[in-house]
Amino acid sequence: MEKKFKPNIVGFLCNWCSYAGADLAGSSKTQVDPSLSVIRVMCSSRVNSNLILSSLLWGADGVLVAGCHPGDCHYEQGNYYARRRFALLKKITKILNLEPDRIQLSWISASEGKRYAEIVNQFARDITKKGPNPLTRNSQT
Amino acid sequence: MSHQKKEETIIPEKGTVLSAEKGTKRVILDILKKALAENLFDAVLIPAQVPETEAYSWILLQDESLFEWADPLPPVMTVQGGRALSSFSKNGELEQNIAALLRPCEIRAAIELFKLKQVNLKNITLISLDCPGAMPLSNYMSDPQKTKKDFQHILEKWENSESLRPVCQVCQHFSFIDGTAADLHIGLLGDKNKNITLIPSSPKGKKLLDQLEFGTKDSVEKWKTEKQQLANEKIKRIDAFNREWKKKINQANGFFNEFNPCINCHNCMNVCPMCYCQQCYFDSQAINFKPEAYMQKAEQKGALRFPLNTMLFHIGRMSHMVLSCVSCGACEDACPVSIPVSQLFSMVSDQTQKEFKYTPGMNREDALPLQDFTEQEFCEVEVPDECHEKAPEEAK
Ligand code: SF4
Ligand code: SF4
Ligand code: SF4
Ligand code: FES
Repeated sequence: MEKKFKPNIVGFLCNWCSYAGADLAGSSKTQVDPSLSVIRVMCSSRVNSNLILSSLLWGADGVLVAGCHPGDCHYEQGNYYARRRFALLKKITKILNLEPDRIQLSWISASEGKRYAEIVNQFARDITKKGPNPLTRNSQT
Repeated sequence: MSHQKKEETIIPEKGTVLSAEKGTKRVILDILKKALAENLFDAVLIPAQVPETEAYSWILLQDESLFEWADPLPPVMTVQGGRALSSFSKNGELEQNIAALLRPCEIRAAIELFKLKQVNLKNITLISLDCPGAMPLSNYMSDPQKTKKDFQHILEKWENSESLRPVCQVCQHFSFIDGTAADLHIGLLGDKNKNITLIPSSPKGKKLLDQLEFGTKDSVEKWKTEKQQLANEKIKRIDAFNREWKKKINQANGFFNEFNPCINCHNCMNVCPMCYCQQCYFDSQAINFKPEAYMQKAEQKGALRFPLNTMLFHIGRMSHMVLSCVSCGACEDACPVSIPVSQLFSMVSDQTQKEFKYTPGMNREDALPLQDFTEQEFCEVEVPDECHEKAPEEAK
């Protein structure tokens, strides 16, 4: 048997909600899976598909994009645009047979430290179950 | 935010039927010549064969005597017409009136570019025509005479031919474009080679027919019936086309295998009408890492493929512009290693555009899908799915 697989997950968290939610999870000592590397972005709409794709092609086993709940974006509409772009990328990865389940979009507010932990832990479990991302190991990519 | 408007203009019942005895091309050119002579236009943007050569390009024609260069139905699409139109109209409004004769996919690209403020349509009259398709550019360059002959044959028969570019064989928008895209449509079907039918597709187009004293008194029924027949055949072909691609892509590494021969020249991006960015992200320094990073990747992957970021480029480009892709085939024509780029983009655009209920280049008022949203949509991509949480489906 090989060593137990520990996934490498990238999380793009918006500054105003999800990052604050992560902070709260930390300060209230909620258990959060350590396989998530957090990258703080000002808004979920900052997450261009390039960032998600680069992550997947260059080493991530999963990518989480998290922002404020619909209606609560600090910039009012950013997350609605983010959702459209994410939906497009998800559809493209589906059509191209590139494991769409490795990317996830979630809404987490500043007060949802517990929800943050639950979402991250569940995603980490899902990705662990899926195993290593073939894209990052593929010499064709 | 605005919802997508879905008022498609119905094809008008009446237009002008003109005899094409003198030859289809001649008649089309005569109409434009007449419009120019009567000062309805100051110039005409039209494809032309450069004299003494086999090269085709676009010309902005002002001198009537040069009409003999013009070819409204060239065998190849050298530069996408939407791009040609953008290159001279994006920096401001024109004082003069211009008519632009483009293939339907070029009109649609022009409309997308108009929405992106890369084309200014003020004083530009867009004229579309029934498109028989185009031949692969590389075939034409290696044997112009034979390719021209084959194309002439296609023009006479209007039957499908394997010698056309694959995206043309399955093209869904080869004729009149529903919506507010073009101003005037030239129907070549109907009494093919005997008559042509001019169909106004906007008030501007109708006015033009009146000014030319053609009016709109003739029935366009014959053209419509034949156009529908051809459309039905193409629908059957595109279903088979999509099925076949799906099968290929669903094999292990299916997508990567298609793009493996890629030399990363970015021709496909450079000729694509929808890739209008002044600086393409994938040409920028944003995706370069330090050498150690590449060593690490080589270790992880076993071997690192050069040129770097080829797949990132293709999937990334797709995610930027595929909702506006008009399946014009320009990218595939430009690929030096014969990758079926436009077939793949077309297959993906077909499915994604359906999901976004958007057909590019139709109505000038339809918002671009990535510049628009509604509050409750695409909830299925959220984890957990919040809209359905809030409003559980009663039926279940
Ligand atoms: S991706 Fe290819 S087929 Fe699509 S619009 Fe661009 S050049 Fe045309
Ligand atoms: S690939 Fe993207 S960044 Fe590059 S030109 Fe096309 S749309 Fe612009
Ligand atoms: S034109 Fe062909 S070889 Fe060049 S980047 Fe595009 S797919 Fe690759
Ligand atoms: S600021 Fe949080 S999603 Fe826009």
